[in-house]
Amino acid sequence: MLNKIRNIRIKESALGYVFILPGFIFTLIFVAYPVLSSIALSFLKWKGRGPFEFVGLANYINMFTKDLFFKTALQNSIIFSLGAALGTVLLGFIFAVIIDLKIPFHKFFKFIFFLPVVISIVSTSLLWLRILDPYGLLNTLLAKLHLESLQQIWLGNPKLALLLIIVVTIWQYNGFPMIFFLAGMQNIDDGIYEAAKIDGASTIRRVFTVTIPLLKNVFAIILTLQLIFTLKVFDIVWIMTNEGPAGSTAVLGTQLYVNAFHANKFGYASVISVILFILAIIFSIIYIKVSGYRE
Amino acid sequence: MKRYKKNEFGGPLNNTVMLFFMFLWSIFQLFPLVWLFLSSFKPTVDIQTNMFGFPKSFYLENFNFSFFNYKGILLGTYIKNSMIITLASLIILMLLSLPAAYAIAKLKIRGKNILIIILIAMMGIPIHSAMVPLYYFIAKLGLLSNYFGLIFPYVAFNFPFSTLLLQTFFRQFPNEIIEASKIDGCSSFGAFTKVVFPISLGAVSSVMIIMFLNIWNEFLFSLIIMKNNAAKTLPVGLMAFRGQYVVDWGPMFAALAISVIPPIILYFIFHRNIIKGMTAGAIKE
Repeated sequence: MLNKIRNIRIKESALGYVFILPGFIFTLIFVAYPVLSSIALSFLKWKGRGPFEFVGLANYINMFTKDLFFKTALQNSIIFSLGAALGTVLLGFIFAVIIDLKIPFHKFFKFIFFLPVVISIVSTSLLWLRILDPYGLLNTLLAKLHLESLQQIWLGNPKLALLLIIVVTIWQYNGFPMIFFLAGMQNIDDGIYEAAKIDGASTIRRVFTVTIPLLKNVFAIILTLQLIFTLKVFDIVWIMTNEGPAGSTAVLGTQLYVNAFHANKFGYASVISVILFILAIIFSIIYIKVSGYRE
Repeated sequence: MKRYKKNEFGGPLNNTVMLFFMFLWSIFQLFPLVWLFLSSFKPTVDIQTNMFGFPKSFYLENFNFSFFNYKGILLGTYIKNSMIITLASLIILMLLSLPAAYAIAKLKIRGKNILIIILIAMMGIPIHSAMVPLYYFIAKLGLLSNYFGLIFPYVAFNFPFSTLLLQTFFRQFPNEIIEASKIDGCSSFGAFTKVVFPISLGAVSSVMIIMFLNIWNEFLFSLIIMKNNAAKTLPVGLMAFRGQYVVDWGPMFAALAISVIPPIILYFIFHRNIIKGMTAGAIKE
């Protein structure tokens, strides 16, 4: 009898593996193996074809001490990441609160604010490139409002370029945290709000004393997600400014690309791959902790 | 849970103020897109001189010569490539992750936890961290500028996320329904086709749409692998419009409009599904 049960269990386990393994192995081949190769690659000097030489930590040392573009990229990535992540999360939260209050047209707002999320970043970048063009929408609009003095070459201004990229990112993605907050708000019992109302709390008060504490978890989850997404930014920077003006908007993602495929320094570029990998692991751990993901 | 919050925001003034700012932001969100569509129907000259107005007539010329071969930009080909790659990737992805998700959710497997942890770990890996060796690997396989050069990595990188999303749904699928249908006389197979499958369709389609958008919009890896102009996908192909030397805004806007329409149409039809799919599993009941 016990043998029979054990046989059934083994069969079920085997069946499970049959279901899981094909995809799993596929992913191991095309994801895990290349990532491990990246780590190995970062200790080599290699042009992508021909011989390679083992250089130990030289790539790392050079990148951190002698590479000015890397320094700029690191700074920009951090600024961009924090700016875009916080910007989208905070705005998303405010919009979620307002929409959750069911003001008139709230369904319309929810629909519209999330819409840009599904459009490709490439299309968005190209569109905004025309809006911010010297002869584009923004400058023309300013002229119509008799504000010619504010006209400028927007993306050519080193001080504004990164900021503008952050703004466009917020334009596109503010809806993303918003839907997470809205989903979380669905789970808040109306009774709590009622009790607070009876105790005399105004709407804003209720947000601060009820909504925010109960959504702390969601905050952490979506903020972590946004940080993960924004640290590896490439598309929007590459298309809108191409790291310009004069390399001032370089970020980790673009530097990785440039080092590998323009300068053909495969080993050197892999240092950035490793950095991004480590950051991804750190944030994944944070995410797991914060979302309480269990088996 | 019934929602019935009444609106009292300390007076009608607050209500109006909130509405005002929400509408302002709505204009900010919509205006670029509206401008895009209006401009695509204007000849280039008009776009400059009549930037804010409605097009004088339904000018279709932009769409005409932007589609097939405009200064080396093969828009029609790019769209075809994107469609084939995306659909193929989706099909293979679903074939791999549906069984995997079901197994994780419903079957008892030795070492399941380890598998799940590895999956989560691989989910977080950005394509950047694998980019260089993967390029070399794909080149070695002779798959540069080949559909499969993108399909294989796309499937692989989306497999963990897809599987984990689907298993969240399968896990919540109550066994009792299957049991009940069997008691009512369904065979095992019948139970699957008449009960499990129809109900799963909603969740599966949500995941499929999200994966569709991820793959359709992917840029960086496609940029690296598809060197051949005829092989490029839509996002990469559109980049040709970035240059200062493409003075013709008309065709450019037309191309952008075309690229933006499929996701928007999908959104109009499936927005509820998309949003549900994205937040599933992230928010605990």
